[in-house]
Amino acid sequence: MALQVRNEGANVQSSINVTPMVDVMLVLLIIFMVVTPMLQHGHPVEMAKVDHPENMPDADKEDALLVAVQRDGKVYFGNDPVDPAALTQKVKDKLAAKAQVVFVRADKRAKYGVVADTVDNIRAAGVDQIGLLTDRKQTPGAPPR
Amino acid sequence: MGMAIGGKSGGPTADMNVTPMIDVLLVLIIIFMLITPLTPHGLQALVPQPPKDKTPPPENDRTVVVQVLGNGSSPSTIKINQDDVTLETLEGRLTDIFKLRAEKIMFVRADQDIPFEQVAQVIDVAHSAGVDKVGLVTKNIEAGH
Repeated sequence: MALQVRNEGANVQSSINVTPMVDVMLVLLIIFMVVTPMLQHGHPVEMAKVDHPENMPDADKEDALLVAVQRDGKVYFGNDPVDPAALTQKVKDKLAAKAQVVFVRADKRAKYGVVADTVDNIRAAGVDQIGLLTDRKQTPGAPPR
Repeated sequence: MGMAIGGKSGGPTADMNVTPMIDVLLVLIIIFMLITPLTPHGLQALVPQPPKDKTPPPENDRTVVVQVLGNGSSPSTIKINQDDVTLETLEGRLTDIFKLRAEKIMFVRADQDIPFEQVAQVIDVAHSAGVDKVGLVTKNIEAGH
């Protein structure tokens, strides 16, 4: 055993070391998981799905007025729960122009009575255009509009 | 076995190091995902404000009101003015009605306990039938406030 043969060349790995890639991907995944809820303005609810909704890019703007109606009838203005009676005043305070559209994001199983009352309260603030936010139904064959 | 060229052992690996490339690509994917956020979709609806001069609007028999009636548990019925229709036949009927009209205005009324999704679908069908202006009839509007 005088001469120990160094045998490193025999087991050179020629496959890619994927560990750093996996690390990076996991970090990205975490970043996405953290950031995605933040991109959503307003209180999230399960929106109704319809076939041909219009694009409403304004609803994504920073100053968009979003009113959410939850399934149980709770009303949110932006991200904050709001008393239906106080909604009119809050919308009035935030309303920049008369012609501004107020977006209503109602849960698909919310009772229409609650949604209509909410719309009524928004209307009392002087708004006459409402954007009812919905999702596009994911059916193949439904042409986008 | 004297001429085992580029065999399993030894020999420089000719594989490209793809890890930095994958990293760069992933970062690009993220940048693209951030700059193309999902545009929100929705349905435009109007809530007419009461007229300033307190005069009642002229009654005409051309007003189209689509009603969604029911108690939320049993299947709801849809009516155009007084005629029963189904969600499938609604679009055809509305197209017929509005084909010859200049002002494509329609109102939607729904019972308290109807899930919002059904109302949203009716509004969606109305928009695809070519109705530009869909007004929501709420309690205050009915009462004339």
